[in-house]
Amino acid sequence: MLAFAFRRTLQSFPTVAAVALVVFVLFSVIPGSIATSMNDDGRGAMDAEVVERMRKELGLDDPVHVRFTKYVTKLAVLDLGTSFRTREPVSQLLAKRLWPTLQLTLAAMAFAIGIGVPLGFVAAMRPGGVIDAVSMVTAVSGLSIPKFWFGLLLMYLFALKLGWFPTFGYGGWWYLILPAVTLGVSPLALLARTTRAAVLEVINADFVRTARSKGMSETRVVRWHVLRNVAVIVLTTLGLQFGSLMGQAVVVEKLFSWPGIGSLLVDSVFQRDIPAVQGCILLIVLFFLIVNTLVDIACAAIDPRIKYT
Amino acid sequence: MKLGANLIIGGALFLLAIVVGILAPWIAHTDPVMDANLMFAEEPPGREFWFGTDAQGRDIYSRVVHGARISLTVGVFAQLINTIIGTALGLSAGYWGGWWDDFVTGLTNLLLAIPSLIFALAIMAILGPGLTSLLIALGLTNWSFTCRLARASALSLKSQSYVQASKVLGYSHFRIMLTQLLPNMLGPLIVIGTLGMGGTILAEAALSFLGLGIRPPYPSWGSMLSEARDQITTAPWLSVFPGMAIFLTVLGLNLLGDGLRDILDPQSRSRRL
Amino acid sequence: MMKRAVLAVSFALLVAGHADAQTPRKGGTIRMTAPYGTNISTLDMHTTPRAQDDIYGKVVHRTLYNYDSEKGAPVLELAKSVAVSNNGLTHTFKLRDDAYFHNGKKMTADDIIYSYTRIMDGKRAFAAARWVRIIKGAVDVEKGQASSIEGLKKIDDVTLEMTLTDRVDPGFYFYNGNTAIYPAGEADKPEFLQKPIGLGPFKFVEHIPGSRLVAERWEKFYKPGMPYADRVVISIMGEAPARDVAFRNKEIDLSILGPAQYVAYREDANLKNGILEVPEVFTRHMGMNLEFKPFSDKRVRQAINHAIDTDLIIKRLVKDKAYRATAWLPITSPAYDKSRKPYAFDPEKAKKLLAEAGYPDGFEFEWTTSQNESWGLPIVEAVLPMLAKVGIKVKVKQVEVTVLVDLRNKGEFQAFILSAQSGPDALGALKCFHSATPMTACNYYRFKNGEFDKLIDQAGQTENAEERNALLRKADGIIYDEAPVWFFNYNKAVMAYQPWIKGLQANATELTHQYPEYIWVTESSPAK
Repeated sequence: MLAFAFRRTLQSFPTVAAVALVVFVLFSVIPGSIATSMNDDGRGAMDAEVVERMRKELGLDDPVHVRFTKYVTKLAVLDLGTSFRTREPVSQLLAKRLWPTLQLTLAAMAFAIGIGVPLGFVAAMRPGGVIDAVSMVTAVSGLSIPKFWFGLLLMYLFALKLGWFPTFGYGGWWYLILPAVTLGVSPLALLARTTRAAVLEVINADFVRTARSKGMSETRVVRWHVLRNVAVIVLTTLGLQFGSLMGQAVVVEKLFSWPGIGSLLVDSVFQRDIPAVQGCILLIVLFFLIVNTLVDIACAAIDPRIKYT
Repeated sequence: MKLGANLIIGGALFLLAIVVGILAPWIAHTDPVMDANLMFAEEPPGREFWFGTDAQGRDIYSRVVHGARISLTVGVFAQLINTIIGTALGLSAGYWGGWWDDFVTGLTNLLLAIPSLIFALAIMAILGPGLTSLLIALGLTNWSFTCRLARASALSLKSQSYVQASKVLGYSHFRIMLTQLLPNMLGPLIVIGTLGMGGTILAEAALSFLGLGIRPPYPSWGSMLSEARDQITTAPWLSVFPGMAIFLTVLGLNLLGDGLRDILDPQSRSRRL
Repeated sequence: MMKRAVLAVSFALLVAGHADAQTPRKGGTIRMTAPYGTNISTLDMHTTPRAQDDIYGKVVHRTLYNYDSEKGAPVLELAKSVAVSNNGLTHTFKLRDDAYFHNGKKMTADDIIYSYTRIMDGKRAFAAARWVRIIKGAVDVEKGQASSIEGLKKIDDVTLEMTLTDRVDPGFYFYNGNTAIYPAGEADKPEFLQKPIGLGPFKFVEHIPGSRLVAERWEKFYKPGMPYADRVVISIMGEAPARDVAFRNKEIDLSILGPAQYVAYREDANLKNGILEVPEVFTRHMGMNLEFKPFSDKRVRQAINHAIDTDLIIKRLVKDKAYRATAWLPITSPAYDKSRKPYAFDPEKAKKLLAEAGYPDGFEFEWTTSQNESWGLPIVEAVLPMLAKVGIKVKVKQVEVTVLVDLRNKGEFQAFILSAQSGPDALGALKCFHSATPMTACNYYRFKNGEFDKLIDQAGQTENAEERNALLRKADGIIYDEAPVWFFNYNKAVMAYQPWIKGLQANATELTHQYPEYIWVTESSPAK
């Protein structure tokens, strides 16, 4: 088990390296720079001399190989550089946003699992029935709705009209609910469908029929085989969803003024704060790899039949 | 869901969207770009303007109808590019194995790790807004699931006896991949492709929301939604109709995909992706 | 300043008899919003030119001058008086002796010298350098040839002598938020970015990036009795509908309104009494590259101004949330010509002018724009059909604002649409059209007019304000006639405020830049 975990972790390094390279190349060719983005509200003006100095100070005009070497050498000692925008270390910038991001992502996931998985189960118990139809249509709808539209709807209904929650901001868990629901609605839909399919798959499988015919009680059959199969599939889906969830969080974070990494990333892209962009993406990728490695370990633990090449 | 209900409803919705898009110039009588009359700006839905008018005085019904063309073009063609890239890479990786497989798998992991929205955003920022940039950005960033599927299928299919037979008979690798393997994995590929189209349409809406989508004044559902967001509380019809259009079309595609899956692969071990 | 306090007190006494007592109440929280984006980009004011960051700047920091909204001009803030030499270049300031930084240290001339010298550091790029450069010797520090600014001399702890390179009013330069005064030696310590120290009425408490910034009353602030409120919370909310919902839910006290909400709030009986409107000092325009052949002919440029039904766009698209631009200088400028009529909407005349200039069938040009709702794509979309009617075809090039600015500064455009600051410094604004001003500085249009140059040069030498304004008015008239831009509008800033907020200032340079010491919160606030 430990060896497996270690091996998997080692396999992640090339991916991280590749991401670092791709990000570097991508943002080297992007037009515009931090200097020109400082005027993006049309009010503040940067005069030419200051722009020149900024380019020199930040090394924007250094030739490619110089910039790349600097980037790689810094990365090797885990130095993520200094933000062009705030002049603080990028790691500090990220650290401030880490906890809110985790809160939002985990809450959204909890919401998705807490409602999606039972929904999938219930739907699968009576396939073709009314509950099945209703829950699957709801699930599919959840996958089809544009997020910011949905978020605004929730805000309007539950915050303004009903007054149950605050409309925006970051504070106690009360502030977390609406953003988490907005973000969690599409993984919820996905999980509901996936769970349903997983349950159905197992219930109709040969070995379950065999177990049943051998006289195993219904509940034991369900509990053991189905749960195991479902757990594996749910975990795998979660792992894959995690990365895209952090990306999709952008829209939600902007709407609810939630101080997460998603909005930092998009802002940094628009403001051309290259070190911050690189830092954010690397962090997201790191998370994704960690989560997926954990998922793989968990799956292997639950179902030793699963072999990973 | 009753077998076939998915297929019928989903198919109908999707077909509706396509028909509307194709027939756009005939079912909408005003030009969605040039027929702008500021005197009629932001009129609520009524007899003359069925869906109301937008801030520029353009007929929203006309823009939704013409927008179908652009949004569907993006959805269909971006997904087509995704499918072609994913299938080509996955199929060849599964078939050949070795270093090529390692490379493709690494590439796929890379793509899965970087949030696709951000990747697409960066590409759009480089290429500038516009239809071609959008197709490139979305086409290059969403092929990972297709690739995995194609690879898994290739892996399981290549050990089949008829494939072995072809090898013995001296068929070229390319011919084997194209004529033996590909046709047998079309089912799941079509399913993933259909579901993926819904995803690309939503991705276009998200990119427009962030400011880098279709170049106006041409209507696309996503950019209409984005333009209307400040008026959501004051003129909700500006966002309701394009929002509904996106929702119904993507819903249709999702149902269609499910229906196709039920028919083509009832015993599938596919993980719902 | 004492004067303000006296005024406030006498005003309070005047209305003491009124049932609704206007005496400022002490206590409560002012809940502002930062509406121009999704973050406050930095806590170091020297580095940023952005309006959004100065919302925080006005709360936690101070500059040598403040902007007095009633006078429409800068007034001394950190100094009690100033004496100007005969040649108009040397200004001797008698500084306050009652200003304390948030770390308890008293402000002296050393702090001002330190702050301005830091801004001119040639190895760093501080946006505020643009303003400090007006001091003699500042450029030398910038180039690395000097370690201190020659034109800044400390006479004693409370006396500062400043010599400028040009005969201008230093107020226009040093009221800008990014010329904030920091305690000497502190700004380059790493903690300073996390916990900034300033002279403002509120001291910094916390900053949650992307969400909010909190500051609490600084007890040793120099204006007696002020600040009234206990705390200020600035919430970062870039999305107008989200602000709308939060405002109606009474979770925020101030909210900038866009055109759509402006209409809705005006028509809502509960909200319409809480709207503050101010004509701001920004001119929205379509800038033309005068080296692009069709635009080099004055008649073509005038034709464009005639072809566009500007009033209709303002009325319908911008929902009356702007004032029609009659030339470059804004309405609040003392050099504004009240009698001048804007270009009439006359497509026939436009066609005639185009024919005279040699374009009877029109021509085509590329218009570079951003997505901005007030001076971007929607405006371009509205203008398109109008220009099409007189035969002018437009190719729209849409880019992000940062790319637009880049292209404009490099001169790589045929036409662009943007908003530019045209006040309160009228001379500075018009200087952009002077032929000696390089394109990269702000003469993006490559405008050249001898008569105009003469007027500007003369105005720069004129001491008497009346005469100077008359010259600038004439110069503005030339700009009107030559039309190097399509004159669109001057922004009308609109801010909604809750009924329990008093003491707001109608700041024409930027309505969100409120000096918070004057604001107080009445009993009816949920955040009292």
